Amino acid sequence: MLPDANHPAWRQIITGEKALHSSKATINLFIQSSKMSYARDSSSANLDQLISKTHGFFAHYESTFSKEIEQLIFESSENL
Amino acid sequence: MNHQKIFESERKMSASTPSKLQSIPEVRAAIAGGKTLFLAGSRQALSQLPRGNWVGGTICYFMTEEGGLVSEDHIFATEIPECAQDVRIVNYGRGNLSFLYSDAPHNGITYLVIPASTRVHKAFAEQAPSFDGFLMHPVVGWVSGVRMDRLGSELPAVFNGQTGELLEKKAVALHVALPGNKQAELDIVSIFKGGDGDVIHFKDEGFHAVGCLINGKQANLADYIVAKGIRTEFPLVGDYCGCPVNVSIQKVDAETHCVDLYAPVFPGVDYRFAEPVEDYEKAFAATLGTDSETPAFACNCILNFLYGKLEGKKTGNVTGPITFGEIAHQLLNQTLVRMYLREVG
Repeated sequence: MLPDANHPAWRQIITGEKALHSSKATINLFIQSSKMSYARDSSSANLDQLISKTHGFFAHYESTFSKEIEQLIFESSENL
Repeated sequence: MNHQKIFESERKMSASTPSKLQSIPEVRAAIAGGKTLFLAGSRQALSQLPRGNWVGGTICYFMTEEGGLVSEDHIFATEIPECAQDVRIVNYGRGNLSFLYSDAPHNGITYLVIPASTRVHKAFAEQAPSFDGFLMHPVVGWVSGVRMDRLGSELPAVFNGQTGELLEKKAVALHVALPGNKQAELDIVSIFKGGDGDVIHFKDEGFHAVGCLINGKQANLADYIVAKGIRTEFPLVGDYCGCPVNVSIQKVDAETHCVDLYAPVFPGVDYRFAEPVEDYEKAFAATLGTDSETPAFACNCILNFLYGKLEGKKTGNVTGPITFGEIAHQLLNQTLVRMYLREVG
């Protein structure tokens, strides 16, 4: 199940605190794009926008990227 | 292996869509029969086609089952799957290009062809990642070109078969809506590896590189290439969280200390020069493996064809146009792109 937008995992993959290992190009291109945007503008407003966008991305591909979502939740829970 | 599948390969495969090199009369008959087609052929060949549901771009280089081929008398035709629920053809200039992804259906595939060396080509290369809907709607396609001996004397073009337009300054897209149980999968295949060489960063995005940081130290890319004797037929490989995005070198000017590129570099990406590849045919065979599945669409880069001397040589089991740029979501260089249609749910 997709965690809500408040889950720390979304922030962590944007800021680089967490690495998501995937062989899927769409995910890797998306994360790289988010990281580049955050590197250009690390304001909380932009971070909030990127979190919302990242959550929306995984919601769109929820059934397809279920393994990656599991990976995110599991590793985030371990780090909490 | 440097190829990344967008969706799980274990998903059930749908029947492959016919994609093959055909004669002009065969393509005319397919259009007359109501087929929706994504075409690649010479200007002369595409100009002989009637109006219908097709888009196309100029190119005369192909990967065929017999090997690399140069032909101005044949057209590579990709048939849009019969399961398509809706088809829409749209021309894109710089003014409406930002709507490319948001115009796409919620679930579908967009086939795109862009004429090389145009403002819309540059705009797509530099700005696509910032457009609404980028990565949410798969876009596959290529950049049209001309015969190498006509560079500068003939312009690349694209065709909107519905309107009969030949376009030299606009791109054309075929938006295809798919039913909920089908999903498009894009696969980016690069035979190049970034290796463990120096890490290069750029401060500015663009098709021209002057200053850069090499292992964190200020440097000039042209000087670095000359000093190191780097073979520029091999690309810079950008590391997009493990996904290789190649940027090919067009020209190194030792006098102006400027490097011209075939695709833009971006700040925030780690780039490394690719490790040399001496036998492209073997490298493709090794990278593509024994995958017997036929893609619904594929294309490969003209630089791989030229540098790898691929005329008459196979590219694994993959067939399709050989192009002036490849598109899988965004512009790619020196890359082979494949698109599959999967059954999901």
